[in-house]
Parts: sequence; structure tokens; C-alpha cells
Amino acid sequence: MGNDKYDLIVGLEIHIQTKTKSKMFCSCPTGYFHEEPNTHVCPVCLGLPGALPVPNKRAIELCILMGLATKCVIADEIYFDRKHYFYPDLPKGYQISQYKNPICSNGKVELSNSTVEIERIHQEEDVAKSTHHIESGTGLDYSLIDYNKSGVPLIEIVTKPCIRSAQEAKEYATRIRQIARYLNISDADMEKGQMRCEPNISIQEKGKWDYKDGMITAIGDYKLNPKVEIKNIGSITAVEKSIEYEFKRLSEALESAEEIVQQTRGWNADRGITEFQRSKETADDYRYMAEPDIPVIEISQEDIARISEELVELPHEKIVRYKEGYKLSEYDAEVLSAERNVAEFYDKLVEELDKEIKDLPTSAKLASNSITGTIFSWLNEKGISISEADLDLDDLVEWNLALHENEITKSKAEELLKKSLDKGEDLSNLLDVFRTKAKKSAGNIEDIVKDVIKENQNAVEDYKDGKKASLGFLIGQVMQKTQGTADPNEARSILMEELEK
Amino acid sequence: MKINIPFIKHIAELSRIKLSKDELEKFTPQMKTILDSATVVQDVNTEGKQPMKRHIPFSTLREDEAGETLTQDEVLKNAPHKELGFIKVYGKVFGSIEES
Ligand SMILES: [Zn+2]
Repeated sequence: MGNDKYDLIVGLEIHIQTKTKSKMFCSCPTGYFHEEPNTHVCPVCLGLPGALPVPNKRAIELCILMGLATKCVIADEIYFDRKHYFYPDLPKGYQISQYKNPICSNGKVELSNSTVEIERIHQEEDVAKSTHHIESGTGLDYSLIDYNKSGVPLIEIVTKPCIRSAQEAKEYATRIRQIARYLNISDADMEKGQMRCEPNISIQEKGKWDYKDGMITAIGDYKLNPKVEIKNIGSITAVEKSIEYEFKRLSEALESAEEIVQQTRGWNADRGITEFQRSKETADDYRYMAEPDIPVIEISQEDIARISEELVELPHEKIVRYKEGYKLSEYDAEVLSAERNVAEFYDKLVEELDKEIKDLPTSAKLASNSITGTIFSWLNEKGISISEADLDLDDLVEWNLALHENEITKSKAEELLKKSLDKGEDLSNLLDVFRTKAKKSAGNIEDIVKDVIKENQNAVEDYKDGKKASLGFLIGQVMQKTQGTADPNEARSILMEELEK
Repeated sequence: MKINIPFIKHIAELSRIKLSKDELEKFTPQMKTILDSATVVQDVNTEGKQPMKRHIPFSTLREDEAGETLTQDEVLKNAPHKELGFIKVYGKVFGSIEES
């Protein structure tokens, strides 16, 4: 993205709460959503003096898993650091994080037309939830703090400043969310705050800057424009919209010779704008130091091998296989790979179907049509996921084969499938009933056509007078009499034959 | 590192402590003395020495099982102010600090 004069440069920080039963450094349960405040806390996550952090093995495994999925280098020693700042949501006065040595570094994520470089993925702990109020009566400012969220495992995924459009940022965030969900690293529900995106954006004059070794540098005596960081982004759509807004705002500011200062802005989703929060003219001073309470954790190749057993084929890999091996369209490949349970069901359906059809692209296309058509619209209507629906793989294979062998028309087949989904009726039985009826009417389709011609003389006259639309009406009548079991193409040709007589 | 009044003022601000002009003048030389005495360790030759830190294998880390917590009453016991199960903190929250 860009315009005639400026290029857009974006780096994205994504925080994800990983899915563990207990917190990062204590055994408090993590499931705090909608729970009473301050009921999931202990001396460690309250930051009481003398309490000691004990790292959660599973949390670190999930951080490593994310790193493996994004082709990062995994450190063989894990170090934690203290990041100091004073804020009521951080009771210790520091957050345990990683500064110099992140667990994962130098990875990449493949998108449809580009590759996003990952600088690092590090492990840290979430902070408490605070809400700010003004006391009625006294007019005093105050905050209410709930420490249930304090200490929940959090990973931070940081890209290099290599993203060049709002659309690319959106695709990247979507991909990260998919990976997290595929590998059960997190539900990554942005509305619940399980995933948070913070783009940092700058715009630079075309031809005046360079991108090398993960850094943006000025060419000649060009002075780089400062970065703007955006917070409060509550959805993936907002990632794209906020960047588009900011690109336009920054371009206009520069064009009217306004000075841009390094700043943090908040996304206002209701108004679709970013709002100034604070300037960052001085670098943040967190006084990092090595966390003395946690030993260095040694990771062996065996540990990494064991964790990598949790890796599965990821959406972008599925997309390639679907497009190249299955000859699916980009759109179908995207839709079918978006959720792991859909993709796994689809893969099984193709496999079973192809045992009969023995032509992979044909099987893949049939299976794709059945899932993205009737099944998706039914799931959408019910608001449930494919794993919650009672879909029988064998029945769907039979159904697809009936379609493939032209035993049944597409519309009739969809009608039966929808009926089976709606009423919970056995799809295989419905197909049997259909076949019995079809057999009955098969021999006498010519008789039925003759009856229809006899009973609809007006339409026949219209047809002979040149109203070709009447043919459709007559075909409809034949279909009705055969209860939809006739092949409409066959009905059409027999009708035309009879009408020509 | 230059230990002067602006530096001590900056450290105090990071810690959300307000110091008067008199206090700054009093604390700055004291802080300088403390830091100077700590510089002794910088004279030790550490060339070729690894930092002394305990190492543990990954497998010995805590398993992910949820355990006991404090009750809400216990949590709020130490809080000078509380409301509806929350800890209540008076004062305008500074805007110039990162959240996570
Ligand atoms: Zn705890």
C-alpha cells in the first residue's frame, strides 16, 4: 500500500494468552472470564513480598510450539528478565518477561503473496485488569483492580517492520490466529482479550529509505518519519482499518507540513478513527534486569522433538496442497483450511470419496462443493461448528457418489441433505427412498411426459407459438409428477422430442 | 552514569515518588555514595567467567495443574480500599506507562 509519494511500513506485535490450566508462575487457575474478581489469585500473582515464581512447563511448550509453527530458531537456554514499571495492574512493580534472549527468534509466516518475518516470540505474564472511574460525591479518580488475569501466560509475537499494506497486516493477524487455534495454543478470541494486536506504523517517502537486516534506514540525508503505535484494537478488521486510517492521517499531516512525533494512539472502533493517547519522545525506561528467582532452563533437542509432535499441517500448507494437488480455487482452499476441524473433516471426506472415484481433483471438488455449499450454510444458520454437527462421513460419501454418477440432480440432492441435517434423519435412508421412487418412475417417464402434454395444452400451444419459456414450465410439471426423481435433462429432451411430433 | 539531580528526579518519577527540591538535594549525594561503593565489584576481573546461575532441565519444570487460591476475603484483607470485590486504588492513573 502507499500513494504516489509515500510508502507504508508496518510492524505488528501480537500478544496471545496461551491455553493452560494454571498461570505462568503459580498454580492459580486461568479460567477467569466472567468469574468473581480476585478469586483466582495467590501470593505469587498478587506480588506479595517473598512469594517466588515457579514456571509452568506447558506454557513454555506452547510458546515453543508457536515458534516451531512459524519456523523460528528455538533457544537452548531460557532466561527470564524483569521489566520494571509502576502501575496498579502490576503488583510486583515489574513484569516477568524476556528481554535479550527470547525463546523463539527469526521465524517467518507465509501469506498468499508475501512472507512476514518474525523477529521474536517471547514468554511473559499478563497483568491485572483495571477499570478507571471517578467517585461520585468526592470527584476523586480511582481504579478498580481484579488480579484474576495477573500472571496468565502471555506470548508476544513481534514481526520485523516488513509489512507493506493494511491488507497484509490483516492477513498476517488472521494467519497467526489460525495457527494458534490449529495447534490449540490459544482460542485467540479477541473479544475476550485472548489475542491483542498492536501495529506500529510509519510512512516514508518513496525511494528515500531502505529495508535491510530487519531495519528501516534512511538513504542519504533523508530523515525518517517517526513511528506511531496503535492500541485498543479489538478485532482483525480493526487491524486493517486502523492502519488504513493512520496511513491517510500521516500522509495528510506530512503534506500540510505538520510535525509528526512518535506517539501512541488508541483505535476508536465506533468512530473508525485513531485518537492521540500520549507522545513517546523519550524511550521507555524499564530498567530490565535478569530475573534472579528463576534459574536458567535448559531445553534439549529431545524436548523440542517431543513438542514438535504436536505440529500438524497448517492452513497455509493445506492451501498449497488443496490448490496444487486438488486443483481447488484459491477461495475454496482458503475457506476449507480456515478451521482445523473443517479441514480435517474435508480431508477425510476426500480420502474416502477417492477410494471410489479414483480421481483426486474430481473427489476434491465434489467434497468441497458439499461442504462449502449446503453444509456451511446450514452450520451458519444454526451458529454451530462442524464438530458439533452430527455428520456421518459414510453417508456423505454415498451422497456425493450419487451426485457424481448423476443418479440425482443437484437441487434434489441438496434438498435431501438439508432435510437430513434439519430433521436429524439418516441421509443414507433418504437416498434409498429416493432411489426406490426414481426406479418406479424411470420406466414411465415417457408416459409422464405424454400426460403432462395432454394436461397442459395451453403451454404446449404457447411453446409452439415460439414462447420457449413454456418449456421450463413443462419440465417443472414432469419433475413434480416424478417427485423430483427424474433427470431434468432427460425430461427436457423427451419433452422436446414429443413436442416436435 | 552521571548521578546528578535530573537523574535522581527521573528515577523518582519512574517509581512514582514525588521529591521536593530539598529532598533531591539531600538524596543525590547519598545515592552517589551508595552507587560508588557498589562500583567496587566492577573492578573484579571476570574475563572468561560465565555468570553463576543455577541451571535446571526443562523436564523438571512445574506441571500445568491448577491448585489452591486465596479466597476473595483473604485477598482483600490487606487492601486499604476495596469495592465490590475489587481492590480500589485512588489517584489518577498515569497515562505514560505501557500496559503489557
Ligand atoms: Zn497465583
